[in-house]
Amino acid sequence: MSDVSETGAAQAGGTDRKKLLEVKNLRTYFDVEGKTAKAVDGVSFHVFANEVFGIVGESGSGKSVTSLSIMRLIPDPPGRIEGGEIWFNGTNLLDMSYAEMRKIRGNEISMIFQEPMTALNPVFTIGFQLKEAIRHHRKGLTKAEVTDRAEEMLTLVGIPDARRRLKNYPHEFSGGMRQRAMIAMALALEPRLLIADEPTTALDVTIQAQILELMLSVREKTGDASILLITHDLAVVAETCDRVAVMYGGKVQEISDVKRLFAEPLHPYTQGLLTSLPRPDKERRKRLQTIPGIVPSIMNMPPGCKFAERCPLRESRCDTIEPELVEVRPDRFARCHLVEPEGVADAQEAQA
Amino acid sequence: MSAANVENDASAGDVLLEAENLKIHYPIHGGVFLKRIGEVKAVDGVSFTINAGETLGLVGESGCGKTTVGKGIMRLIEATDGHIWFTRRTGERVDLVPLGRKAMRPIRSEIQMIYQDPYSSLNPRWSVGDIVAEPLTVHFPDMKRKERDEKVAWLLEKVGLTGEQAHRYPHEFSGGQRQRVGIARALSTNPRLVISDEPVSALDVSIQAQVVNLMQELQEEFGLTYLFIAHDLSIVEHISHRIAVMYLGNMVEIGPARDLYDNPVHPYTRALLSAVPLPDPSLKRPDRIVLQGEPPSPLAKPSGCPFRTRCPLAEAACAEEIPVLTEVAPGHHVACPVVLR
Repeated sequence: MSDVSETGAAQAGGTDRKKLLEVKNLRTYFDVEGKTAKAVDGVSFHVFANEVFGIVGESGSGKSVTSLSIMRLIPDPPGRIEGGEIWFNGTNLLDMSYAEMRKIRGNEISMIFQEPMTALNPVFTIGFQLKEAIRHHRKGLTKAEVTDRAEEMLTLVGIPDARRRLKNYPHEFSGGMRQRAMIAMALALEPRLLIADEPTTALDVTIQAQILELMLSVREKTGDASILLITHDLAVVAETCDRVAVMYGGKVQEISDVKRLFAEPLHPYTQGLLTSLPRPDKERRKRLQTIPGIVPSIMNMPPGCKFAERCPLRESRCDTIEPELVEVRPDRFARCHLVEPEGVADAQEAQA
Repeated sequence: MSAANVENDASAGDVLLEAENLKIHYPIHGGVFLKRIGEVKAVDGVSFTINAGETLGLVGESGCGKTTVGKGIMRLIEATDGHIWFTRRTGERVDLVPLGRKAMRPIRSEIQMIYQDPYSSLNPRWSVGDIVAEPLTVHFPDMKRKERDEKVAWLLEKVGLTGEQAHRYPHEFSGGQRQRVGIARALSTNPRLVISDEPVSALDVSIQAQVVNLMQELQEEFGLTYLFIAHDLSIVEHISHRIAVMYLGNMVEIGPARDLYDNPVHPYTRALLSAVPLPDPSLKRPDRIVLQGEPPSPLAKPSGCPFRTRCPLAEAACAEEIPVLTEVAPGHHVACPVVLR
């Protein structure tokens, strides 16, 4: 949104913006019934400082496993991070000990989940849980200071009468207010990176608008924090993200800034997704374009391109050779044999 | 085909269903003896019509009563008051509300339902063929087995599956395919009215369009009438001829889809539509009206206009009585005296 022009400027100036998070060739596998499910299979992307980066995909695309891998929250067994690197602020999170990682979680990277009721502990008050987060982060505050800070955080996320609300239990909050409380908890730690996994999927549309606006406004207030937004909803991406990675079959299929992704999607899967959405400027009741077939099972992925079976442009090489994720336009990446790279070489020459 | 396959004689424009001041209140029990201590007015005096052959979209946020309306028509929940006039295939117009179980049964074959969750709405121990055949065995017990099997195979093909798949079990199907099975089951009795409650919201984006298209194709082929209940406003806008908007048990606006989306009148409809994220950064949206607060609990419904506690236009008079729907354009009704003044 506000940063689109900035991203546009970045494409000409190259990638000298500071990368807060860089995921390189991440592979997260699950051992299920003697077989290996490659939920995330070679995912690479980076998130700049002060950026909202979206990961969009359907169920089984690997988007949530990617976010859990960054937090090192993959249940092991059956899951394991098979390989790759996750560089955050100069250190590889995958090299860290459990104790070191605990310090990163919350302090540096916070996460908010889809279902706030299951993420909050029902037997403690909102205030207790919020204050616990604050105490953990800022040792040495007095009791009164902690309470003040908790009240300040609830007010920041738009909960009226915050002092009294601290004494409420999660069940006394509505869905939208619980999600606000979760955001308050995540932000109390002043993280550099906020990972939001489907933060508005369980909410009504008017509340969704409030929460998305809140997340964006909080980013402005807290300075240079970045948001990694995981969602299935392309419209949410269009409204909130600066750049986005489209995932399918455990792989990133396309990375682009949001404006150019919607204006000119490069990967056939992205194209199919965008044309299958009903839009207010399309003719009503006219048939929607569809992507035929179904998402391939994660237990039984095709050897070549993961989207080949459903792709209108499929060629014989697509079934056998997996395409690489290559920069086909300046700062735009696609994993498809049929997207011809153009402009990249020119841009590199211009830079040199 | 068979006796069960009577052609639908729906000519568009005839009223198929008319809800008249429909009220559905749930009792709340509490205390030691579980006495009735109050009630939730889930549907609180709603009136609308559905014309034969059209799709009426019913939208609103959680707790607004849209699902209860659907269940009320199916008589899965007893109405507290009001009438539901339904025109039967024979042309007879009956009020469903006072009907007993036995009298309701033949009518159920004319009103069928598609459910939201394709995982829990199909019995995992039954083959898909048995699932689709069940309404036939209930409503047409005299149908011969061979005829029934043929009809099941035909239905499965109509929804994009194959007749051979009748022997398979639900777990062998994906979410989108299961929803197709649910649609085949709903169509097995040749219903006149199909109530679909969030039929695509559990499906992936790339599958949603497949199911929406299928529903439209079947509507054209069989002259079906849909009550399409959903919270996804872009899908509802796409599929509906007319749209009704509910808030906290009351209908606040109803009108032709285009008219309602292009010129929403009620302050709630305007806020709701402005909150819908658009799937393209280049699309122009009306200025977003961000509503303050959240819908009040239906347990403590405000007096008068239910929306007044969040309404930017609320006045003292709004607390006095529930506004009635008033026509603002042909077929477009709005329940807000303030905005109409």
